[in-house]
Amino acid sequence: MFDLIAVQYSWLIPLLPLVGAVIAGFFGAKLLKQQSHWPIWIGVGLSALLSLSLLLGIADHQAHQPLTNGEYHPAPSDNAISKKWFTWILAGGDSSVYHTYGAEGHDVAKADGTKNPLAPFIVEAGAWIDQLTVVMLAVVTGIGLLITIFAAGYMKGETGYFRFFAYLGLFIFAMVCLVMANNFVMLYLGWEGVGLCSYLLIGYYYEKPAAREAAKKAFLVNRIGDFGFALGIMLTYLAFGTVSYFGNGAGTFTGALELATVTSHMSHFQSQAMAWIPFLLMLGAFGKSAQFPLYVWLPDAMEGPTPVSALIHAATMVTAGVYMIVRCGTLFVGNAPAMTTVAIVGAFTAIFAATIALRQFDLKKVFAYSTISQLGFMFVAVGVLAPVAGIFHLITHAFFKALLFLSSGVVMHAMAGELDMRKFSGLKKMLPKTRWLMLIGCLALSGCPFVSGFFSKDEIVGAAWAHSKPLGAVMLFTAFLTAYYTFRLYFQVFEGPEVLPSAPESADGHSSADSHDHGHHDEHHDHEPAIMVLPLIALAIGALLAGYLNWPGEQLGHFLHNSPSIALSQEVANKTYGDSNVNQVSFGGRETEEHSTNYLMIVSGLIALSGIGLAYQMHLKNRTAPEKLARQFSGITRLLEGKYWVDEVYQNAIVEPIRRLGRAFFMVDQIVINGLVWMLGFIPRACGFTLRQTTQRGYLQGYAATMIFGIAIILMIIFW
Amino acid sequence: MELLALQHYLVVGAILFGLGLIGFMTRRNLIVMFLCTELMFQGVAINLIAFSRYWADFRGQTFTIMLLVIAAAEASLALGMVVLLFRQKGTLDAEAWRELRG
Repeated sequence: MFDLIAVQYSWLIPLLPLVGAVIAGFFGAKLLKQQSHWPIWIGVGLSALLSLSLLLGIADHQAHQPLTNGEYHPAPSDNAISKKWFTWILAGGDSSVYHTYGAEGHDVAKADGTKNPLAPFIVEAGAWIDQLTVVMLAVVTGIGLLITIFAAGYMKGETGYFRFFAYLGLFIFAMVCLVMANNFVMLYLGWEGVGLCSYLLIGYYYEKPAAREAAKKAFLVNRIGDFGFALGIMLTYLAFGTVSYFGNGAGTFTGALELATVTSHMSHFQSQAMAWIPFLLMLGAFGKSAQFPLYVWLPDAMEGPTPVSALIHAATMVTAGVYMIVRCGTLFVGNAPAMTTVAIVGAFTAIFAATIALRQFDLKKVFAYSTISQLGFMFVAVGVLAPVAGIFHLITHAFFKALLFLSSGVVMHAMAGELDMRKFSGLKKMLPKTRWLMLIGCLALSGCPFVSGFFSKDEIVGAAWAHSKPLGAVMLFTAFLTAYYTFRLYFQVFEGPEVLPSAPESADGHSSADSHDHGHHDEHHDHEPAIMVLPLIALAIGALLAGYLNWPGEQLGHFLHNSPSIALSQEVANKTYGDSNVNQVSFGGRETEEHSTNYLMIVSGLIALSGIGLAYQMHLKNRTAPEKLARQFSGITRLLEGKYWVDEVYQNAIVEPIRRLGRAFFMVDQIVINGLVWMLGFIPRACGFTLRQTTQRGYLQGYAATMIFGIAIILMIIFW
Repeated sequence: MELLALQHYLVVGAILFGLGLIGFMTRRNLIVMFLCTELMFQGVAINLIAFSRYWADFRGQTFTIMLLVIAAAEASLALGMVVLLFRQKGTLDAEAWRELRG
């Protein structure tokens, strides 16, 4: 496996998009202009190829190996590689130790977990290449490539065209760093990098106040989470003396994630730290993956261009939290309160966001809340010890949500920036291809049987049901809501009588979301150019078929099971909760006993279909019904349309007090600090003023007298 | 014992210097003030000559000749400036130029 070309050149995977971004960024404004997408296309395309060859190479390698039977062999150096690129940070301690022996030869952390006092702080930039990494890499670069292709069509003619692509390349670089990292510091680099790019891209239309505000909000809310995340990483370093995931490889017990499994040899401090680390890391995950109470930035982030919403705020960045928890499974799984918290927050977020989505009318907003809700599903999965289901749903979700966002981008183009689904209807004539693509996306999202979302969501619901019945019931109900709001949107927008927005609003200089000059509804204008439709078709194929990655027969699970992160998590789970209480399949292991949740599959399929059926009744057959219902329950309607007033609560409970505190500090600053400084300046000025008024009065005689007086004093001093 | 001792010369020099100083301090007419500075010059020159004679050394007298030449040059310059100042304000009063104090 070491001899794979893609492993040897793994450093190219993050580097190529970065180079593309640099070229687009520095030469885009003057030279490339509307061709600025080329460096990004080439960079991301090549790294997607490398990622794919990495995935296939590892899958092929694994196919020639006997599968471990639910047991994890501690030396799977064949299955996972820590590929060092360069020594990034070497600070403190006795660095000569490092220079003589290298990180391998010297004892960074002793086996008993105490830190070698001579050990310097070492960060070796490099890739941790295992099954989880390659799957994530393939998703990030593959979907990234499709979306950059789509974006070239979507963003055509924008003034900041090169800027957009430069940010996009930078984002993919950061995301790849996040996914490939073999240590926490690099993970953090990627983590903050994607946050930065998200900020830049949400604020892409920076002339619009709403976009600026949304960008700031996203950045600040993420900072709150990242603060906890950074603390978690520091605590991990303090406890285990290293920031590396697995050090020199799984089985060597040189990395933090592996040392965390040795609970029997832990010092008091370490076991205390183990109680806190997951909660701190979790904060970062809740911020980045928009979970309650830190989800508020994601709906606002829809101010960014639609490809950004698809790539960053649906398919890749927001799933970083899920990935991180799965990656750091050994830190999480053994901590039952932390896992329960993750599951409960996930479930609450899922149902909370799904109910808000019921009464949203903006296409992108509906999908934004749906994304939050689906991320909640993923968190439930990792929370109930089913990381494979979480990653599975992450993959299928990446496909169908990217598809849905991009399709709504096409609708938005055709409607001249109008996204309010009350203003148009029956677009299937105008946008025939988009209609079918959107239908596929909606089927996948709603969990319609035999489409990708069905399999992944069903696994999560099943795992939740097995974990606790109420949790499973909540997830089932949320799945029903999901199916309903998805098809409410679909039926409203594409079916029924054709209604178009009355007047293309771009005529009166209106500047709402992405209104470029696509307002003319003439018949010859192509609303569905090939450059936009082809990537959508690829995504649609993924949305249809991605479910068969793990069904029937848990292929994806068995593949992922060879990732040390997941295998070791399983080991920890078995040790903590007992073998019989852990569903080995949900870690990708072989079934040890009958965990039959098949009947749930049928139930969740029926539930999805009933949701679709309800939407059909309410939004196609009898369109007045939902409004009548809304009027009947006006209280609930207002609650949902006000999004539970969470933003208002934040505004009044946090933003306003902080602003007031800031104003108070400003006053103190003005009066006390500025006063002191002013005083300091005033004293010499006062002295000068006095001297000027007394000695420098403009009388020549006075000057002469002063001179004589001075000479007299000097003479007296000399001759006295 | 000489008829005129060193002290006599020194006293004359001091009186000249003193008169010049007092005149400078009390008068406001630019020309008079300028003349007073000349007076102080001469007081100093007498001092130099007196000591020169006393020590029987001619360097002091040489120096005095130099001093007179420089004083003459300075006087021509200074008077020229006084004339210019007078043209500006139409008065010789030093008070008229108080604004230059900055």
